[in-house]
Amino acid sequence: MSFIADKQTLEDLNLLGKFKQHSIFSLFNKVNTSGAEKLLNEMFQNPLTEPGAINKRSAILKYFQSKQLSFPFANEQFSMVDNYLSGSGGRHYLTALIVLGKKKLLGTIVRDEEYKKTQSSLQQTIALLNQCKTFISQFLNDDDHPFYNEVLAVKNILDDPKLEWLAIEQNNQLSLTKMARYDNLLRHKMQAALTIVIDTFYLLDLYISVANLAQAKDFNFAQARPKEDNLFTATALRHPGIGKAVANPVSFHQHSNMIFLTGANMAGKSTFMKAFGINVYLAHMGFPVAAKGMEFSVKDGIYTSINVPDNLNMGYSHFYAEVLRVKNVAEEVSSGRSLVIIFDELFKGTNVKDAYDATLAVTAAFSEYANCLFIISTHIIEAGEVLKERNNIQMLYLPTIMNGNIPQYTYKLQPGISSDRHGMMIIENEGILELLDTN
Amino acid sequence: MLFTTDKQTQEDLNIYGKQGTDSILSLFNRTSTLNGARILEEMFNYPLSDAEAINKRSGVISYLKTIQAVFPFSSELFDQAEPYLANTDERTKLSAERPSLEKKITSLVANDADYKLIVNGISALIEIASVLKGLLNNTLLKEGSPFKNDPETLNISGLLKAEPISLLLQENSKSRFSREKQAHFDMLLRFRHRETIQRVLKYIYQFDVYITVAKVATERNFIFPKALPREQHTIRVDSFYHPQLKNAVPNTLVITPDSNVVFLTGANMAGKSTFMKSLGIAMYLAHMGFPVAAKKMEFSVLDGIYTTINLPDNLGIGASHFYAEVLRIKKMAKELSTGKNIFVIFDELFRGTNVKDAYEATIAVTTGFAKKRNSMFIISTHIIEAGEVLKERCANISFKYLPTRMNGTNPVYTYTLETGITDDRHGMIIINNEGILELLKKGKEVSSI
Repeated sequence: MSFIADKQTLEDLNLLGKFKQHSIFSLFNKVNTSGAEKLLNEMFQNPLTEPGAINKRSAILKYFQSKQLSFPFANEQFSMVDNYLSGSGGRHYLTALIVLGKKKLLGTIVRDEEYKKTQSSLQQTIALLNQCKTFISQFLNDDDHPFYNEVLAVKNILDDPKLEWLAIEQNNQLSLTKMARYDNLLRHKMQAALTIVIDTFYLLDLYISVANLAQAKDFNFAQARPKEDNLFTATALRHPGIGKAVANPVSFHQHSNMIFLTGANMAGKSTFMKAFGINVYLAHMGFPVAAKGMEFSVKDGIYTSINVPDNLNMGYSHFYAEVLRVKNVAEEVSSGRSLVIIFDELFKGTNVKDAYDATLAVTAAFSEYANCLFIISTHIIEAGEVLKERNNIQMLYLPTIMNGNIPQYTYKLQPGISSDRHGMMIIENEGILELLDTN
Repeated sequence: MLFTTDKQTQEDLNIYGKQGTDSILSLFNRTSTLNGARILEEMFNYPLSDAEAINKRSGVISYLKTIQAVFPFSSELFDQAEPYLANTDERTKLSAERPSLEKKITSLVANDADYKLIVNGISALIEIASVLKGLLNNTLLKEGSPFKNDPETLNISGLLKAEPISLLLQENSKSRFSREKQAHFDMLLRFRHRETIQRVLKYIYQFDVYITVAKVATERNFIFPKALPREQHTIRVDSFYHPQLKNAVPNTLVITPDSNVVFLTGANMAGKSTFMKSLGIAMYLAHMGFPVAAKKMEFSVLDGIYTTINLPDNLGIGASHFYAEVLRIKKMAKELSTGKNIFVIFDELFRGTNVKDAYEATIAVTTGFAKKRNSMFIISTHIIEAGEVLKERCANISFKYLPTRMNGTNPVYTYTLETGITDDRHGMIIINNEGILELLKKGKEVSSI
């Protein structure tokens, strides 16, 4: 089963989208080849749910991080060779010979470019495969790294006696017969094997660039644990997309599965919740996370409710849209799945009493699900006072320090409930009430 | 002083609408002439802020409605006259001389377009002048007509007696003129008295607008509001409704300096926004001297109208929607602090923030507004708790609500305004209807077995 993250969640956390500004995908998209970009996109679309697979991928990335390499090929080289190899060559030496002969003839008579093109593609392919062989040799010195088998497979293909000529023909002008022979060999007999070589290099590109990003951004790797352990810890978790993000420790376990988060509007509640959600997502991909000492039990999915849009076209008010979102999540939670749930400031579009009742009732009901992790933020501190009685809810807040009239934020989580609110202060800073007082 | 409003207000009230949608303008935009439509749009751009001017305009339109006047001109006449007058090229001026043989032959082969335009233009103006004379004598200047006191009507009537129009009135548009006569008229109409002619045409376009509006008022059964002196600070609207809704439910509202803040509550679908829009549209049209969708309306003239119904929250983040609202209120507060009397509509005040902040801010801002006794405020909110506090604090707030009747668990709406603060709390009902808590409870039981 794949990791669940619906559209709303992906939007809230701004995870996907190559052309979206500041999306997490574009943060990681530093690969060279378009083949690697495609793979990266696939990994982002399909996070893993199996601890073994997650840990294996992060081990590979860790290995490349320790190597500190740069991927030496350009995208054009690879896409050209990829095109050439996936094109259809002659099924037999003879047909290849005839096709090429015809092209050559056309080339001399009507200056057709096809023959020259094939010739240059073939030569570039030979050059690239030779380079590949040299590049992978460095991974074969020690055999105890997690990517060894893949590299070995590539080496074995390239060492195939049928490809012995590669090294010899590197810079030679090829005759028509030789070209037909090689063309037939590369594009027909060895096509499947060479596809493996190219695909492995796309993977190499991806691993190297992600590992280098982790190095540059000081990202670390999270340890995946079986679902049953039901825990999550990180000593310093921060938002991966923000340069000088403040890190906070986070910890959940079986008997403490919910964070009840309070704090003023600008104090960083949403950022903290997004940071948590993004890191959970990245960790399930086996990717480096913006956290230190992170360990997590794998989950079945993540649901967030941070910017629920009101669907006025369908006649839904903001409140109703939120209710439907909560219902949707409740269905998932009650089906027994282990999920990560993030609710930011629920029940905005209603009166104080209903918001209080609803927050209290919904939070209490959710907190019973020990196999899920929850972060719920609210301004209704009275609800917190009641929920405090429950041992499995951690009360945390993001403080505001008033420097005269100007609020300052530490972005550091503190235990407790905060009653900081700044709506009135914003109104006062704009001088609205004074304006209304003048007569 | 100009009546002030802004783009947000016009969008909220759907005054101009988006391309292809029905707007308030499109209700009236049925003039016979193209230039009439332009004048109509200009009237929408600039509502009036002077009781006398408003009553005068509505009096004129109302008179045309009573006598069931029709627009007596054929609109093609203006399609001929306008391009003719627009051609100010001296070289096209007709000359009185007999055309040379060469020119005659040329015009036989290739029809001279300019010449045709000129001849048609002149005969259109002759026709227009004669119809206008009939209109003035038979309708507008009759006993009891408010046009008799309209200076522009009297001016136009005077112009008809002077050259060049007096000359036009002697002619018949169907007859053919000599070359000399054509050249003479062309020189007079298009060059020497050009401005006079344009003034007359403008008068007709204006009349076109009035006639059209009167016709709309008849068809839709709109009434003409009476503008009261500014100092009364009063609005009385009897059975007003939304002009674009079918089967709209009418409501009645009175605003005086002792109740100049209307605090409106009600459930989501209860019709708060529609109520506010209907009132806003009525106030807007009333300040134009136009008929409104109501049974009776009297209003003190104000300096402007500002609504906040669909504030765009394109910024995505919660804080900025709140901030957008704060800035909007600041704009209104600035207008108020300059001593202007304005009409303010605020739907779902502070919906962009958490309920606690919204509660405090609603109380503070509404109390601030309430001090401005000469302006009028309609404020709707979900935060009914704020109403209880405001009831204690300000005597001049009138509390109204749109009720919801529960038919079992299904809400039914009357859309009829009642006095008080609603105690309809549908938040928990909606949550219960969706069965969220049961869902979670059931899931728990299953897993614990």
